[in-house]
Amino acid sequence: MDSKNNIDNTRRSFLKLTGLGGAALCMGFYLPSDAAVTLIKPSDLTAADIEMCAWILINTSGKVTLVSHRAEMGQGAYHSIPQIIAEELEVNLKDIDVIFAQGNEKKYGNQITGGSSTIRSSYKRLLQLSATAREMLITAAALQWKVSVNDCYAEAGHVIHRPSAKKMHYGELVLQASKLEAPKNPKLKKISEYKLIRQPLHRLDTPMKLNGSAIFGLDKKIPGMLYAAVERNPRLRGKVKSFDDSEAKKIPGVKNIFVVKMMVHNTIREGIAVVADSTWAALEGKKALRVTWDDTGFEHVNSLEIFKRQEDFLKIKEGLPLKSQGNPTAIIEKSKKKVDVIYQTPYQSHSCMEPLNCIAHFQGDKIEIWGPIQAPGWVQDFISTQMGIAKDKVIVNMTFLGGGFGRKAFTDYPHEAVLISKEIGAPVQVVWSREDDLKQGPYRPGISYRCEGVVSEGKIEALKFRMAGQNNDHWSGGKKDVPNDSTSEGFLEPYYASIKNLSISDVPFETPLPTMWWRSVYASTNGFAYESFMDEMAVEAGKDPLDFRRTHLQDKRCQKLIDKMEEVSGWKKRNKNEGYGVAITECFKSTVGHIVKVSKNISGGVKIDKVWAVMDCGWYVNPDIIRAQVEGSIVMGLGAATIHEITFKDGKVEQNNFYDYPMPRITDIPPIEVYIIENEEDAGGVGEPALPPFAPALTNAIFDLTGKRIRKLPFSLATV
Amino acid sequence: MITLNVNNKTYQVDVSPDMPLLWVVRDTLGLTGTKFGCGVAQCGACVLHLDGEAVRSCVTKVSRAEGKKIITIEGLSANNDHPAQLAWEEIDVPQCGYCHSGQIMSAAVLLRENPKPTDKDIDDAMSGNICRCGTYPRVRKAIHLAAEMQEKDKK
Amino acid sequence: MATFLKNKTISVIFLSLASMVALGWTLKQDDETNYIKLDKAALKKDSIASVMAFKNVYKVLMSPRCVNCHPKGDVPLQGDDSHLHVMAPKRGLDGKGVYAMKCTNCHQPKNTPGQHTPPGNPDWHLPPADMKMVFEGRTAHELAKQLVDPAQNGNKNIKKLKEHADDALVLAGWNPGEGRTLPPMSHAEFKKEWLTWLNNGAYAPAK
Repeated sequence: MDSKNNIDNTRRSFLKLTGLGGAALCMGFYLPSDAAVTLIKPSDLTAADIEMCAWILINTSGKVTLVSHRAEMGQGAYHSIPQIIAEELEVNLKDIDVIFAQGNEKKYGNQITGGSSTIRSSYKRLLQLSATAREMLITAAALQWKVSVNDCYAEAGHVIHRPSAKKMHYGELVLQASKLEAPKNPKLKKISEYKLIRQPLHRLDTPMKLNGSAIFGLDKKIPGMLYAAVERNPRLRGKVKSFDDSEAKKIPGVKNIFVVKMMVHNTIREGIAVVADSTWAALEGKKALRVTWDDTGFEHVNSLEIFKRQEDFLKIKEGLPLKSQGNPTAIIEKSKKKVDVIYQTPYQSHSCMEPLNCIAHFQGDKIEIWGPIQAPGWVQDFISTQMGIAKDKVIVNMTFLGGGFGRKAFTDYPHEAVLISKEIGAPVQVVWSREDDLKQGPYRPGISYRCEGVVSEGKIEALKFRMAGQNNDHWSGGKKDVPNDSTSEGFLEPYYASIKNLSISDVPFETPLPTMWWRSVYASTNGFAYESFMDEMAVEAGKDPLDFRRTHLQDKRCQKLIDKMEEVSGWKKRNKNEGYGVAITECFKSTVGHIVKVSKNISGGVKIDKVWAVMDCGWYVNPDIIRAQVEGSIVMGLGAATIHEITFKDGKVEQNNFYDYPMPRITDIPPIEVYIIENEEDAGGVGEPALPPFAPALTNAIFDLTGKRIRKLPFSLATV
Repeated sequence: MITLNVNNKTYQVDVSPDMPLLWVVRDTLGLTGTKFGCGVAQCGACVLHLDGEAVRSCVTKVSRAEGKKIITIEGLSANNDHPAQLAWEEIDVPQCGYCHSGQIMSAAVLLRENPKPTDKDIDDAMSGNICRCGTYPRVRKAIHLAAEMQEKDKK
Repeated sequence: MATFLKNKTISVIFLSLASMVALGWTLKQDDETNYIKLDKAALKKDSIASVMAFKNVYKVLMSPRCVNCHPKGDVPLQGDDSHLHVMAPKRGLDGKGVYAMKCTNCHQPKNTPGQHTPPGNPDWHLPPADMKMVFEGRTAHELAKQLVDPAQNGNKNIKKLKEHADDALVLAGWNPGEGRTLPPMSHAEFKKEWLTWLNNGAYAPAK
């Protein structure tokens, strides 16, 4: 692995990195989103085309370059993709260079790093691609040596002739190999044959994250670059009525001050941009502005009213059914022993450690962008449309992301940077302060759930869930007369088989507040409501909550997961004065169960003694990265359950910075044990699925300990 | 002109004495390993060493650093081989990695002042550094490992 | 002398009983334990004036600007509601914090501009571990006795105690940085009450 990691895939550095001096001495593969692997022959290419067509390159010195089509925001794509390639290509992991692809969905397919999709959506292609290259290199060697292909094998970047122990370096073979036809069905290894995949290898990006050399968006510098900070409307839309910049202009280094109109979803958010020669001057200039806003024409919301209105809706509205089987309504109405409760989850901020930022360089007929970007393809599309510049003239470069969680899959901050660069005619880096990042959204929507159920003979007879909360899709033109298709997210599929009378409906609910995906999206809130309610049903049925799930989740993988959870946590061997809670959710094709153990704190409230997490994500690459993602999801879930709440007063966000939106700290973290289920199922996601079950497992444990049912997040562990 | 000693090199910078050291180091000197996280000394992403102390550069005016020795993450070791860096690598602590310059700079002070930190000592030293990815369990593990490595080095 | 004091004390209590009770203040009759033992001869033994002055001193000392750095635990308090300091910095032996969490890592020589930023002083610290000088949770009686007890006050005699009113960190309470309330009286008024308390015998209010 090249430790020089200034990820800068401008054309020149790309060619330098891959050792191309204009001649096409490399193998490249074109991967249209769903088509088969296609070999690009050098004769088909001009040098300029290569970078646009290749995903994996092997140059004449044998160096492998992966053009990573997905962002690295902590989840491990930067490492996991090479770990897959190295396995089937038979190269040393350290001989793979990784550079981030530019936005180009025609070539890479969907580039959004979201939905925990990087591995699950591309591992098969990556394996196929790597095996194809390996076989071609072996064939090239066999032809050169005039021996049978069957006597040759590949290892550590070389082809070796077994009988003679002759050995050739991949670099010596690429030219010949690139002239061959690509085999249609290269032989793939069985899972049992893997040498690298499923091993806890050290992450390739770790060393550069320990000495300041990893380049995040905010670290990127462009020659001649200026800095900008923007004072945006605190009510998240509305206009600038007037502004006084006389004090701001006095700050040394401040150069330009003007109105900028950023698109947030389909709304315009106006702000005043302060451009300066340093980040500090820009931030100081912004603070010195006096702005009067025109906030007419839209509702100025208050949090209490939002949730009140949701509750009112849930009292009277049936909503749009997403799932419906049997007749739960009739059974529930008839029943004298129904459970009918409301669950609530708050609006939440992503709060990445790296505040939003973006560099844009508007050059008339061309725009180049650098930043911590989760969705380069969307940014390219959006900027192209907004600015009226051809898509191929909008170059979007990804840096490392200091956290993403969904927020950096958005197009607003690059758009604003482009507008500012256009105005000043120079490259500019727009820096969001922590306050900007926290107060400007978009947020995970706040949601109320009405959960009703009836049990009979130890099982659920009828179950009815209704959700009232904003639909993220409505911001991107999603139809309003259809239910939010995420209303059932998180809810385990096998429940549909065991609960004959079941409905899940979306009660449409709108506010002017911009909302957006937040790590694990609706599963993060649905999971709390649905898996807490499952616990209420178990209590109602007089059953052990883990056994109750075992009864209702008649599916091999679920049964295995539950067995594992029981085994590792000692669920049945618990002592007095210990509360145990369980929750299991599905998210992005992976199923995760948590068991949380709590006890009373001497100083009052409840403390978390331990968390056991069991993940079934099917086929996987790196167990240590999975463990890290599960640990991280639990920590983020802990903040979401016990601390975090974005509230609105008169249309403005009340929180400001980490002092009033505090993060869990090292002192707050319980011991966490992570287990991965071994199987050969299709790959599921890893970065998000371990978040949803945490809150319900915790509150179910608190119920077990105290008899107190928590139905509203966040709650304070100190005062339970 | 303000004279600064950063990572054992002397720099002359023409900035306002009120400018936070963070922005001088990042924007003026181009040492971007020290990160901006909150701007109000809440998160620890901007921790660097000022005469050996884990100072938060986002609230430290550059004038305070005159005549003092500044070490940033880039200057903590020559070859990424400070015990904290080695342990962080062994445990694969970072996820997004953004906060870890600050985490490591904080841990380095702990390891210097307390070669055998207990879990409680780690709490006391590291509760000022926020990690949104939730790498805390690994930070703890890595500090214990770094302490062992440091001990071995001495022998 | 003891008798004289006792009589006077009693008569004053009688005369102003209503107001004293309303404020929750009564004077203790056991005079020997009530005033400071050091420099005894130099003190004007006016217990009423002393106790009344301490009433005001106490208000200041229990205001967030003072009590926040005189916590009962080893973590300072923060804000006008005196919550535990976010990120839980620890006192340390010398009161200056520990490891990467030393007070002056965030607290600068001067206040950092803006709200919710660290207030500053060149010598920002808590009382050291061997002399914690806890204010939090102390009654007026307890605090007064503690303040004049050399074993608990850093071996300060009356002179040193008087001077302490102008200590830079004490003064910092009146320059708390944006968004923080001031102590309930000016520093000049506080100093006057402080000196009145000390000069009149440093009496502790009754338990």
